[in-house]
Amino acid sequence: MFATIMKMLLRRLLVAIPTLLVVAALLFVVLRLLPVDPAAMSLPPNATNDEVAAMREAMGLNRPLPVQFLIWLGQLLSGDFGMSIAFRRPVWDLVSEALPATIELAFLSMIVATVVGVAGGLLAFYFRDRTAEAAIDFSSIVVLSLPEFLWALMLMLIFGVWLQWLPFMLRLDPQFERPVITGFLLLDTLLAGRPDAFMSALRHMILPVMALGISASPAIMRVLRSSLLDTYQEDYIHQARLRGLDERRVLLRHGLKNAFLPTLSLMGVQFGFLFGGTLLVEVIFSYPGLGNLMIDAIRNVDLPVIQIVGLAYCIMVLVISTVVDMLYLVLNPKLRVR
Amino acid sequence: MPSLPLWLSNTRSLIGFTLLIFIVGAALLAPVLAPHDPNEQDLINMLLPPFWVEGSDAAFPLGTDSLGRDILSRLLYGARVAMTVAIFATLGATLLGAFLAHLAGYFGGWVDWLIGRIIDVWLSFPPVVLSLILMVGLGAGLWNVILAIVLVDWTRFCRVLRSEVMVVRRRDYVSAARLLGFSHVRTITREILPATLPLLITLMALEMGIAVVVEAILSFAGMSVGNEVPAWGQMIADARQDVYNAPSTLILPSFAVFVTVFAFNILGDGLRRSLDTRLTQTERA
Amino acid sequence: MSLLSVNGVSVAFANALGTFTVLDKLTFELQPGKVLGLVGESGAGKSMIGRTIAQLLPNRFHVTEGDLRFDGRDMLKTGAAEQRALLGRDIAFIPQEPLAALDPVLTIGQQIREHLDHIGRGAGRRPERDWRKVAIEALDAVHLHDPAGVLDKYPHQLSGGMCQRILIAMAFLSQPKLLIADEPTTALDVSVQARIVGLIGDMQRRHGTAVIFITHDLRLAREICDDVLVLYAGKQVEFGPASEVFERPGHPYTRALQLAIPPAAGEHRGLFTLPDRMPGLMSLKQMGGCRFAPRCPLAEARCHEVPPPDVTVGPGHRALCHKPEATPGIAPPPALEHRHRDPDAQLLFRARDVSRHYITRARLFRKPDTFPAVRSASLDLAEGEFLGIVGESGSGKSTLARLLVGLEGTSGGTMELLGRDVSGMDRGTAAFRRENVQMVFQDPQSALNPRRRVGEIVTQAMEVMNGSRADRATRAAELLQEIGLSPEMAQRYPSQMSGGQKQRVNIARALCTVPRLLIADEIVSGLDVSVQAQLLELLLHLRRERAMSIILISHDLSVVRYLCDRVLVMYRGEVVEQGEVDAVFANPQADYTRKLLAAMPGEGAPAAEKFAAEEAFA
Repeated sequence: MFATIMKMLLRRLLVAIPTLLVVAALLFVVLRLLPVDPAAMSLPPNATNDEVAAMREAMGLNRPLPVQFLIWLGQLLSGDFGMSIAFRRPVWDLVSEALPATIELAFLSMIVATVVGVAGGLLAFYFRDRTAEAAIDFSSIVVLSLPEFLWALMLMLIFGVWLQWLPFMLRLDPQFERPVITGFLLLDTLLAGRPDAFMSALRHMILPVMALGISASPAIMRVLRSSLLDTYQEDYIHQARLRGLDERRVLLRHGLKNAFLPTLSLMGVQFGFLFGGTLLVEVIFSYPGLGNLMIDAIRNVDLPVIQIVGLAYCIMVLVISTVVDMLYLVLNPKLRVR
Repeated sequence: MPSLPLWLSNTRSLIGFTLLIFIVGAALLAPVLAPHDPNEQDLINMLLPPFWVEGSDAAFPLGTDSLGRDILSRLLYGARVAMTVAIFATLGATLLGAFLAHLAGYFGGWVDWLIGRIIDVWLSFPPVVLSLILMVGLGAGLWNVILAIVLVDWTRFCRVLRSEVMVVRRRDYVSAARLLGFSHVRTITREILPATLPLLITLMALEMGIAVVVEAILSFAGMSVGNEVPAWGQMIADARQDVYNAPSTLILPSFAVFVTVFAFNILGDGLRRSLDTRLTQTERA
Repeated sequence: MSLLSVNGVSVAFANALGTFTVLDKLTFELQPGKVLGLVGESGAGKSMIGRTIAQLLPNRFHVTEGDLRFDGRDMLKTGAAEQRALLGRDIAFIPQEPLAALDPVLTIGQQIREHLDHIGRGAGRRPERDWRKVAIEALDAVHLHDPAGVLDKYPHQLSGGMCQRILIAMAFLSQPKLLIADEPTTALDVSVQARIVGLIGDMQRRHGTAVIFITHDLRLAREICDDVLVLYAGKQVEFGPASEVFERPGHPYTRALQLAIPPAAGEHRGLFTLPDRMPGLMSLKQMGGCRFAPRCPLAEARCHEVPPPDVTVGPGHRALCHKPEATPGIAPPPALEHRHRDPDAQLLFRARDVSRHYITRARLFRKPDTFPAVRSASLDLAEGEFLGIVGESGSGKSTLARLLVGLEGTSGGTMELLGRDVSGMDRGTAAFRRENVQMVFQDPQSALNPRRRVGEIVTQAMEVMNGSRADRATRAAELLQEIGLSPEMAQRYPSQMSGGQKQRVNIARALCTVPRLLIADEIVSGLDVSVQAQLLELLLHLRRERAMSIILISHDLSVVRYLCDRVLVMYRGEVVEQGEVDAVFANPQADYTRKLLAAMPGEGAPAAEKFAAEEAFA
C-alpha cells in the first residue's frame, strides 16, 4: 500500500511540474496584455524617458515575450521572486507572511464543510421519501444560492454588528502581540504558551471559517446523499440485510464507506473552489492572507505580486487535490490492489 | 425528448422559472420602472432608509446609498448587467465546453488526453482567482467580464459532459449507427447529443447562477463593468462602509444576488429531476 | 412437522393507481432437509417469495393475507429484532450476482468476521487467531484454494465463481435450517455453474439444510429438487414432487415451458412457442378466469371466465387448471431438418488467422503490454449457412464478432467477403461490408436509442441515404411485419416495449439494408425461455424467407445445437474446435468442448453422481 501511494505521489509530482510551467506561462502572457509599463511603474513618477528606457532594457522588456518568460522563470528557480512595486518589499516576504494565514483559514473551513456536509447528507438520506427530506433538500438549495462572500457579509452583520458576539476584523485582539514561530498563528499562540491569545485568534476565525465552510457544504451533502441512494441499490446492501445486520450497521459500515468515495472525489474539486472563496472572505474580514495581498496587488497593478500569488494559489490547489486523491487511494481497494 | 409541459410540471422548475420572469422583466423594463437615474447623486438625501423604516422618503422607496443614489433604480439597472452576463457567458461557456467535451468523449485517444490536460491546468486555478487575473489582463467592461467567465467556466461543462459522453459512447446504439453508415458528425449530433442534452440544459441553468455570482464577485473587487455602470457587487462593496448606520444598503443588493442565484439553482434542480432519467428511475423505485 | 409452511399468503404492491397483487394465495410446505424448486419466468414473483420469508419486502409491498410459519414461529408476527436474529443464523441466502453481493471496500476476511460476530461465533469471545481458523475451515469446505490468502483479498480480485463459494461458505457457517438460493448460478459461466450447484447440493446434504432453489432453468430444477413449485403471474400453478411435475405435468404452462427449451442431447425436436407474454401486474385485475388462458393452447370458454380449481393430479401433486388431464396432449412441433454443408454453396465469408490484441498498459520506450483477446481465428462461412460460436465470458467470442463486422480493426490476419478483401478499415471497405454484413447487439436496452421511435430505429440505415419520410414509413411497416410486430408499433419508443419486442426491433434494424450475413451476439441470453423460443423461430423464419447466413454467438450450447449447422468453440481467444453441430456434440475432440458439454444440465441425468464427478474434476 505504501509503495502504491509513493508511486502515485511520484506520478502526481511529474504531472505537477509541467502543469505549473503552463500555469506560469499563462499568468505571464495574460498579465503582459496589460496596457501598463512595468518599467515606468517601478521608477519614481519624475523619472525621465531615458531612465525609463534604461529600465526597460535592464528588465529585459525589449526582448521577445518567450525570452522574457524564460528570464523570469530563471529568476524564480534561483529563488528571486522579485520586488513588489507597491510595497517596495521582496515578494517572497509578502507571500510567506500571508500564505500560512490562508492555509489556516482554508484548512479549518474544509473541516467545517466536511462535517456539515456529511452530517447533512446522512440526515437527508435518513429522511428519504419523507417530508423532512424535501425540507432539508430545499434548505440546501437556499444555502447553495448564497455565495461565500455574501455569507461572510451576512454573518458579519448578524454576529458581529448586531449581536456583537464575535470579532470580525483582523486576526487578534489589539492587546495581544503576535508571536512568530511557524507563521501559523493558531499554532504559534499555543507554542508561545498563550492560551488567551489562542482563544482570541480562534474567535476571530469563527466567522470567516463558518462563511466558507457553510457555503461549501451543500455540494458535499447533495453528492453524499445521491451516492448513498445509489449505493443502496447495490446487492451487497440487500445481502447485508439478509444476513440480519441492523440498519445502523448497514449504513455506517457498508453504505457510508462505499458512498463516501464519489463524495471524496467531488471534495477534491470543491476544495479547489474553496481557495477562491477565501479571497473575498479575507477582504471582508480584513484577514491578512493571500486574498488581501492579491486584491491590493490588483488595485496597484503590482505585477510581480499578482504572478507569484497566482502561482501560490495553484500550488495550494494541486496539493489539496493530491491529498484528496491519496485519501481516495487509501479508501478504495479497487485502485490500491489489483 | 421532454416536452415543455414536462419540465414545467415540476414545482421546482416552476418556482425558478417564475422568479426569473420577474427578474428578466425588471431588467428589461428598468428604464421605465426606475424612478431615478441610477447614477444621479443627491447629496441632500444621503443614506435614506427604505420605506418600512421611519424617516424614509416616498421618492426613494428603498432608500439611498452614501452618495444619495436611489437604491431601487440601481437594483433594477444592476439586474441588466447580471442577466446579460448570465445569458451570454453561459452561452459561450456552453458552446466551448460542450464542443470540446463531445470531441474528447467521442474520439478518446490523444484528443481526450490533450483536452483532459488542459482541464487539469484550468482546475489548478480557483475559478475566482483565474477570472480576477483575466480581468486584470483584459481590463474592465461588460464584454470582458463575459469573456473572462467563458474562459474560466467552460471547464465545468467539459469535465461533467465528457464523462457523460463517454457513457453514451459505450452504448451499442452508437456502434449500430456507425454500422449503418452514420458519419462521426452525424453520430455525435443525432445519437449522442440528444442523450447529453438534458444534462447540458441542467448545467446551463446552474451556470447562469454561477455567472451572476462571479460577476458580483468581480464587481465587488472593482474589476467588472466599471464604476459608471450600476452592478450589484459594486453596490455591496460600496455599502460595506455603512454597515453600522445603513445595513439595508448592504442587505438589499445581497438579497437581489441571492434571489437570482436561487432562481437559477432551483430551476436547475427541477430540470435535473424531470430530465435526468437515471435520477427519476431511482426515485420511482 | 414441516420446517416452512406457507398457507394462502398474498403479497400486494400499493401505489397511487391502486393495490396490485404480486403473489396470490401461495400454499406450500417444505420439510427439513428437502430441496424445493421455485420455477417460472421473470416477473412471475419468484424472488418476492424469498423476500417475504425474510420479511424484507421492498417499499410499498406488504403481505395482505395468509399464514407463514417457519420452524413453528409465526413469521408475520415476529418483531424486526427477532427477525434479524433469525436471518443469517437460521435462514441464509445465496444471491444471484455473487460479485455484487460482497461489499467492494471490505476484505473477504472482514466480511466473514462481521458475519461471525452476528451469528455469535465471532471474536467477541474468541481471540484474533480463532476467527481466522473458523473462516479458513469454512472456505476450505467449499474447495477454495488458499483460503488463508483469500481472507485478505477484496471481491474484485476474485472471480464470480470464487465469490459464490465464499457466499456459500458464509451461508453455511451458522448451520442454517433453511437456505434460500435465488438464481445462484445465472450470472456464472456454464462450467462453473455445474460446480456451484454441486457444491450447494453437497453442503445441503452434509448439514441437513432445507433449500428453496429459485431458478428459471427447468432442467436444473429437475436435477436437484425434491419438490417443484411452478409460478405464473403471481399464481402457484403447479406444485408437487419434481419427478412427478416434470414427467407428468398437470398444468399446460409447465408442459409448454418444457417444450420451449431446445433439447441439449438426444433427438432433435421442434420448439413449442407460446404466443405473447405473461400479463403484467396492472392487467391482472381484469382477468376473470385463468391467468394463463390467453396463451394456453388448450383454453376454452370457461378458462377465460371461471377461476380454475386447485386439482390434485397425483400423490402430493396439485395443478391449478380446469382440465389438467388434457395437458399431455400438447405435443412439440416436428424436428427441424438439419442441413449438412452444401458443397456447391458459394463461399460468403472467409477469415484467416484473425487476431486482436488490446494494450493493457502503455509503456514509454518499450513495447506495450498486450492482452490477446482473439488469437488467429479462422473460419469459412457458406451462403445460407448458420454458424454458432460458443464459449464462456472472456473467450473472445464477442470481440471476434466485432472484428468480423468491422467495428474494430484487427491486429493481424485477413478477411474476405464475397471474394473481396475486407481486412482494412478504409471508407470503401466499410461501405461494402456495411451493405452485406450487419450485426444484432446483445442487449436491446443498450442497442436501441431510447429517444427514437421504433419506426425511426428500424429504418435508421435510410437516414444516411436521405430516404424520404414516406419511404421510411413504408419500409418500417414492412420490416415490422416481417419480424412479427404490428405496424402500429412504429410509433412507440423502446421503453414502451417488452424485452422480446425490443430484441425483434433490434433484429429488424439490421435487416433494413437486406444484408447477406447477420451476426447475432447473444441475442437470446437473459430472455425467458418462451421469448427465446419465439426469437429462435423468428431466425428460422428469416432463414427460409431471405436465404441469409447467420453467425450466432451464444454461451448456450442447446440453442446452438437447435439452430445452427456448424459450431465453432472458442476458449481463451482461440478456436479450439469447429465442425458440424451433430458431429461436435456427439463426438467432441477438444478437451474444453468435452468439459462444456459435460457441464450442461441434461434432460434427466441423475444429479447426485454428476455433481460428485464435477467436484472431483475441479
